[in-house]
Amino acid sequence: MAPDGPLVLPGETIDPSLVPSHPKNPLRLGPGLRHIPPTDIVPTVAGQLITNPVKNSMWIEYNSNRYIPSPNDLILAQILRSTTDAYLCLITPYSAPATLPHLAFEGATKKTRPQLAPGQLVYARITPASANRHMDPELECVSATTGKADGLGPIGVVGTTSGSGSGSTGPGCVFDISLGFARRLLMARSREDGGVGVLEMLGGEEGGGLAFETAVGRNGRVWVGSESARTVVLVGRALQETDRAGLGMEGQRRLVKKLVREMK
Amino acid sequence: MPREVDPSLNEKQFVTQALEENLRLDGREFDQYRPLELTFGEQYGVADVTLGKTRILAKATAEVTVPYADRPLDGIFTIATELSPMTSPSFEVNRPTETEVLLSRLLEKTVRRSGALDTESLCLVAGQKCWSVRVDVHALSHDGNLTDAACLAVVAALRHFRKPDTSMDAGVLTVYTPAEREPVPLSWLHSPFCVTWSFFGEEGETAVLDATWLEEQVRVGSCTVSLNRHGEICQIAKLGGTPVNAVVLLQCTGVALAKVKEFDELVDRRLTEDLKRRDKGGFMAELRAENDR
Repeated sequence: MAPDGPLVLPGETIDPSLVPSHPKNPLRLGPGLRHIPPTDIVPTVAGQLITNPVKNSMWIEYNSNRYIPSPNDLILAQILRSTTDAYLCLITPYSAPATLPHLAFEGATKKTRPQLAPGQLVYARITPASANRHMDPELECVSATTGKADGLGPIGVVGTTSGSGSGSTGPGCVFDISLGFARRLLMARSREDGGVGVLEMLGGEEGGGLAFETAVGRNGRVWVGSESARTVVLVGRALQETDRAGLGMEGQRRLVKKLVREMK
Repeated sequence: MPREVDPSLNEKQFVTQALEENLRLDGREFDQYRPLELTFGEQYGVADVTLGKTRILAKATAEVTVPYADRPLDGIFTIATELSPMTSPSFEVNRPTETEVLLSRLLEKTVRRSGALDTESLCLVAGQKCWSVRVDVHALSHDGNLTDAACLAVVAALRHFRKPDTSMDAGVLTVYTPAEREPVPLSWLHSPFCVTWSFFGEEGETAVLDATWLEEQVRVGSCTVSLNRHGEICQIAKLGGTPVNAVVLLQCTGVALAKVKEFDELVDRRLTEDLKRRDKGGFMAELRAENDR
């Protein structure tokens, strides 16, 4: 992993010298930390403690197996069935379904709403309003402020007309990855901050300029689409192997080269 | 209990489409198994089989009981298969799913009904005392192809197992502890293994070995062949699904024989290694008078 910070265990006391101090900004605690008044800050999970002195924030970087929905997360959901005004979607197996209103798509009205079949994949965002983790989450495929889809929406399946944008690349396939790896993939600078360069390498020089598109869900699923099935399999295997073995930059480069040679 | 969710439409379409282009999601050949690992536990009769992400633990035990009244000369041999919610949340305790029933039935037919274990050798006193050998199969992780992994685990566990030595003296049966007398292996006649083929395509023209869980959910049919390394077929089970051409099935049994030979070799090799590990310097070390301390 790229970020460096001390490893902490749940309930450990955090060295006060590690807590950032800023003259003006209040201290912000991120995932995995809990404030016990008046003065204690206690980690609730095991992981790396990361601090950001500029934003005056601290959080714990960890890899867990169970996804807990939180607002504004981009996720890859699967339609279960349709009710009168919403689709019921599955974010993780064996958990309560999330609702995706029929009108939460770009330009959707009662007459033009997309018809989605059970089993179809949707790239969606968890609405900022569904902040309560004890309630079923709500999803949206459109930005509430701009009214644009911004790349969200159903992911195309051959033989249906509802695919928006991605329909041309065929069904693509979904691969399971760990939650920490999904987070690293979704970072704005995934190469520098997350230490993941495998996608760039596949599309760049090492992979011989493969053409593919991806949709990474924070729920530990990544969709890979391409016109050639060979590319989809290659990209999926590269992602899963990078995740499983925890490869660094050099390891990822070697893996990409090996896979490209193998699947020629 | 939550129901198992079907894979998404995208995955279903892609798996079949990729198979038409001779591709599998993990880059394997059609007749290639995932990495297969077999380890034995500290105790006799514990075998742990890992097949990719599928993991099976089998444990063999033996106790002295009364034989069945209608078979006074035979010992008792049972295989207990139970899929717990640990394997997958959709499995429930005491409510066997179809997968579980089929798995135990196939193991029964392959190992028990093919006479792999000589049950007559388990008889101690005719009609009064016999050994009851029981194998418990635990699925620790389910990523497809439970049958092949479970069958391998059962066979390996039974071949690794040692039951306490006994003697009959003037009508008195004595069961010796391992400290008194070295435990004895079971009388094992042949090692049958399961090889499961999954069929894809309109008429099941694509046959694939060792399907993962995703492939198992998409396949149109499957066929389990059980045979030993001499090519003696113990059973063939094709339970429903799309009809498959007889020629395809014949080719499948041919490949299955090659795979079974590999399995047999693996079990033999691991058993020899385990024996070597347990053997602390042979007979001379045992006879040595000096103490470890």
